[in-house]
Amino acid sequence: MLRPLTSLRARLLWFVLLAILATALLQAALALRAARAEADTIFDYHMQQVAQSLRAGLPQGLATGVLPLPPEEQDFDFVVQIWTLDGTLIFQSASRAELPPRAVLGFAEVDAHGTQYRVYSVLTRGLVIQVAQDMAVRERMASELALRTAVPILLLAPMLMLLVGWLVGASLAPVNRVRQQLAARTADDLTAVAETALPDELQPLVHEFNGLLQRLSLAFEAQQRFVADAAHELRSPLAALKLQVQGLRRAGDEATRERALQRLDAGIDRATRLIEQLLVLARQQARQAEGAPAQPLALDELARQVVAEAVAASGADVGVDAPADGRPARVMGHPEALRILLRNLLENALKYAPPGGRVDVRVQPAGPADSPAAVWLSVEDSGSGIPEGERERALDRFYRLPGTPSTGSGLGLAIAQAVAALHGTHLQLDTSPALGGLRVRVCLPAAA
Amino acid sequence: MRLLLVEDDTMIGETVLDLLRAEHYAVDWVRDGDAADTALRTQSYDLVLLDLGLPRRDGLTVLRDLRARRERVPVLIATARDALSQRVEGLDAGADDYVLKPYELDELLARIRALLRRSAGRAEPVYDHQGVSINPATREASVHGEPVVLSAREWAVLEPLLARPGLVLSRAQLEEKLYDWKNEISSNAVEVYIHGLRKKLGADLIRNVRGVGYMVPKQ
Repeated sequence: MLRPLTSLRARLLWFVLLAILATALLQAALALRAARAEADTIFDYHMQQVAQSLRAGLPQGLATGVLPLPPEEQDFDFVVQIWTLDGTLIFQSASRAELPPRAVLGFAEVDAHGTQYRVYSVLTRGLVIQVAQDMAVRERMASELALRTAVPILLLAPMLMLLVGWLVGASLAPVNRVRQQLAARTADDLTAVAETALPDELQPLVHEFNGLLQRLSLAFEAQQRFVADAAHELRSPLAALKLQVQGLRRAGDEATRERALQRLDAGIDRATRLIEQLLVLARQQARQAEGAPAQPLALDELARQVVAEAVAASGADVGVDAPADGRPARVMGHPEALRILLRNLLENALKYAPPGGRVDVRVQPAGPADSPAAVWLSVEDSGSGIPEGERERALDRFYRLPGTPSTGSGLGLAIAQAVAALHGTHLQLDTSPALGGLRVRVCLPAAA
Repeated sequence: MRLLLVEDDTMIGETVLDLLRAEHYAVDWVRDGDAADTALRTQSYDLVLLDLGLPRRDGLTVLRDLRARRERVPVLIATARDALSQRVEGLDAGADDYVLKPYELDELLARIRALLRRSAGRAEPVYDHQGVSINPATREASVHGEPVVLSAREWAVLEPLLARPGLVLSRAQLEEKLYDWKNEISSNAVEVYIHGLRKKLGADLIRNVRGVGYMVPKQ
């Protein structure tokens, strides 16, 4: 079985070459036919002209007494005979080719002595002039003429093929160039392929490919940053623990030992918290993949519970602002996940609010009073906020605002964002209009 | 010897600070790249302990700026960035040594001593001069083989003088090695410790160059 032609180059070459060959053959055949027809016309015309030129005739009786040529000199292509009307042969150019005397006037084909002749006869002033030609000779000459026309065509075909082959190769050179550029790359080289000097057919392909490379490169960078961050974040609490143990071992007096022990305790708390937060984040992300169904729940009630738990450990002024007029603040959601979201936002706000500062949790239905389409949940504080340029990065894992104490896990907002994603939405960060610090908002779908 | 500790992690910073002070180093602690840069421009240190992942300005940038000013202070990078390329980049940016967190404190202290030794232009771990010998690793001193007990402050004044005999250190330079930002400086502290050292080690070891400072004369 033939292998299908998958190479553009091979396909182009084969089809064009076959077309050239077929055209050349057809052209040669047509030329052959045309040449032979042309030769027939020309020979007929010659016979006619010879006959016409003999119309002047020969003087009576002149022919007698002239000796015929010896047979070895009678090698003409044309044979001429002249008759009188009474049937007397008065001239014969070649004795061996005696044509039948009563031929039809005009053109005719006649057999004589085993040879086929083409004969032209004309009647003029009492004489019949016959001019004849051997058909075999005529055929041969016609064929020679025809071949001279057809041979150059057949010779030119291979040259045309070479030219087409070179052109196809040259036209496909950019494909080869791109291929070589890609082949020469190392595994981590995700820079764009040069898009200049490419043919119109190839340019969009390379452009799309570059787009893909760019997206890949961004994902790759994010991954690398995460690994580098995670390495740093996981090692730091361990480094602190290790140093604290060494400090404890070196402590000379009771007071130093007590301080070292307290630090060790805090270090263990911190490492524990980091691991817990990492697990929470992983669980929230996994839950999204599971696609567990959401259930209706009262968001204002949940907010009050979380705030009540968090407020005990805080010196800040924390409050919940939910509509008191009985407007429903019921949303479709995952209660445990939303509790985690709110707790993380609240801890974050409490951490960044100055001592004696204020933190507000707001639950605000949006849309018609009796059947809201959505409920906004927001947490805002009176801290210094996050500069606009940093807000997008603030949702990254392990991100901490520059210049802030590094005791947190840096995962709080990333966890909240994962929970928001579980609910098909995302966190919005801006400046609190009332308190001046950071405001984090999330819009949840209302329960029907 | 005065050290600059650059560390953004509060827990690590507090502990290392205490441990280094317990080793009688004068230590200043800064928590971000900008503060490190300011400290390095305004104060002279014998060694810098540098973290890389810093807020505001990366540790490598601080290091490159420092070396661009042709400062020769030894820099020991202590970081959790462990990739080979990062270690190579750190050393090529001008660091003298590189330790990975979490590290062993004993090793860190030994590396600090080695860097201080090298920056004083010597390789032998024990300083031995005119019969007086001190060992920075064990903090043991002796005169003609007889052990001598030195206070931490006396040690802090003697070590830089003995490390480079012939080099004159001004009173201000010696004060810098005695005190970090935490401590108050009393006006005649250096004279007091020099006096004590002369009593323990012999009157001719440390010479006063009037109007300039103090030196341990070469042979």
